[in-house]
Amino acid sequence: MDGYEAVDFYDIESQLTEEEVMIRDMVREWVSEEVIPNIEQACRDGLFPDKWRVELGEMGVLGAPLKGYGCPGLSYIAYGLICQELERGDSGLRSFASVQGSLAMYPIWDFGSEEQKNHYLPKMATGEWVGCFGLTEPDYGSNPGDMITRATDEGDHYLLNGAKMWITNGTIADLAVVWAKLDGVIRGFIVEKGDEGFTAPEMKGKHSLKASVTSELVFQDCKIPKDRILPNVKGLRGPFSCLNNARYGISWGAIGAAQACFHSAKEYALSRIQFDHPIASYQLVQNKLSWMLREITKGQLLALDLGKKKDDGNWIPEHISLAKMNNVDMALEIARIARDIHGANGILDEYCIMRHMANLESVKTYEGTHDIHNLILGRWITGIQSFTREI
Amino acid sequence: MVEIAVLIKQVPDTSAKIDVRDGIVDLSSVKWITSPYDEFAIEAALQHKESVGGTVTAITLGPESSEKSLKDAKAIGVDNLVRIWNDGWSYMDSNAVQSALSQAVSNIGATVVYCGKSAADTGAGSTGPGVAQRLGWPSLSNIVGIKYESESLEVTQPGPNGQSIIGVNLPALISCDKGMNEPRRANVRGIMMAKKATIEVLADIHSNSTISMVGHSSPPEKPPGKKFEGAENVPDVVKLLRDEANII
Repeated sequence: MDGYEAVDFYDIESQLTEEEVMIRDMVREWVSEEVIPNIEQACRDGLFPDKWRVELGEMGVLGAPLKGYGCPGLSYIAYGLICQELERGDSGLRSFASVQGSLAMYPIWDFGSEEQKNHYLPKMATGEWVGCFGLTEPDYGSNPGDMITRATDEGDHYLLNGAKMWITNGTIADLAVVWAKLDGVIRGFIVEKGDEGFTAPEMKGKHSLKASVTSELVFQDCKIPKDRILPNVKGLRGPFSCLNNARYGISWGAIGAAQACFHSAKEYALSRIQFDHPIASYQLVQNKLSWMLREITKGQLLALDLGKKKDDGNWIPEHISLAKMNNVDMALEIARIARDIHGANGILDEYCIMRHMANLESVKTYEGTHDIHNLILGRWITGIQSFTREI
Repeated sequence: MVEIAVLIKQVPDTSAKIDVRDGIVDLSSVKWITSPYDEFAIEAALQHKESVGGTVTAITLGPESSEKSLKDAKAIGVDNLVRIWNDGWSYMDSNAVQSALSQAVSNIGATVVYCGKSAADTGAGSTGPGVAQRLGWPSLSNIVGIKYESESLEVTQPGPNGQSIIGVNLPALISCDKGMNEPRRANVRGIMMAKKATIEVLADIHSNSTISMVGHSSPPEKPPGKKFEGAENVPDVVKLLRDEANII
């Protein structure tokens, strides 16, 4: 291990099952041994190490809460803990797992045919096949309902035309779950690498999520066999169901990033001497550290309670919106304050701080922006939707 | 089919801060782990089974809390789990531990035993040889490499003039060192198996310490370091490094 101590002020661990603790520790140890020593180089190289895909599959954490078809059917709390530990390593790593499990495997598991489930899910659970999720378009981010990607029924196949953007795993994916309008209704299609008319160029030049592959998906008269439509869902409910699970994972993942920043800030403050004393001994620094502890603890309790609700089936999407926006917001602010505590050293990749901070800027925006989650809660509070002007 | 036993010990996390309170080590807030050398022993036992067939039984001696280490072993592929404990036991010296473990090994009919070369807490390195002596078996310590045969083993042992390759017929006890293998990781499937695993508790094993523990104390604190600033002190620093610290 790398001497990492995950802060757990309210003894969250005492509320976990033995199995959940073992799974958390397995992922934590893997992150310490395989990810932390290599993540900065991966960021500099701008790539997601393929070894991590293989090892995530070997650990069996992909599609963790799904049951059957090679998936383990873990509790949602266990899934959250996996996300927490992965994002302690890097948000890009957690993004890989979120997209694979919640955005690509989940729709096949929930809305796919038996043949689709048997064909795709076992190989996706082992990481042999990588999936991605195509919803966002260049001109339709927060407003996916107005997407312009279209499918047309050509008798013995569908033809797909349009483009998706900001697609995690796109270039390395073996299959994409793509949402497009068929006769004006949003439907899910499974597009495979190599399908005629399908390309997935990588988007370069990111200052955030550098160890994650982000792509465009381009469909130009892309031929899709008839048996690749997801038969059991129509409309935005399909992609939003996936997003609920992914957003849930993010609410835990953000805690991992915050814990990493807190750990680094605490260690730094205890060892950095200024005016003959550790800076941890000064009230201004203690104030920052205690604020971090306070916010992380609140975020942990929020995520844990949401996990119990998910496992009991007693949740609404607004619960997830609140947890996602709160915990990412909290983690980003903690990263910024941790950078402050680290002084100039905080900008170096010798420390995890700036990387987490840059990553969290993306996490704040993807899977429903911070503002959109505010609007979701605003609608729940007032009963008035404020997304469009058609009030 | 070989009956393979692996002896594992739960120890305080090697990075844990150890406090002494009221004359005894206070382990109440310490995180516990499987002793790191024992992880090489578990891996060796699993590879033995995979090479020639057999059954691997992990044995530990300790209270109920030590079952965590057994379940961790189950999660990476061990077949059976045995915990030795008698509520009448408190402090157990090396003799008592070796006696209890050797009885458990005999009970399960093992013909090969793997263990770590030493435990991360006591660091005595006596358990393996002591168990082998009680069983009347050959004991090979600090092993860094191994080849498995159905009735024998070929092990690599570092020595003062290089490495020795030693053949040994079973039964035998092998104490494993770092570098012998690459311990495998658990996976979710293994952890789910471990959750359901039953642990056999051996409570009727008789073993008594021959010594008693009088008390614990912390080692003396290290004297504060000396600080030198400025190039004019270089000769003094070199002199101290040579004459006092004996490192140049």
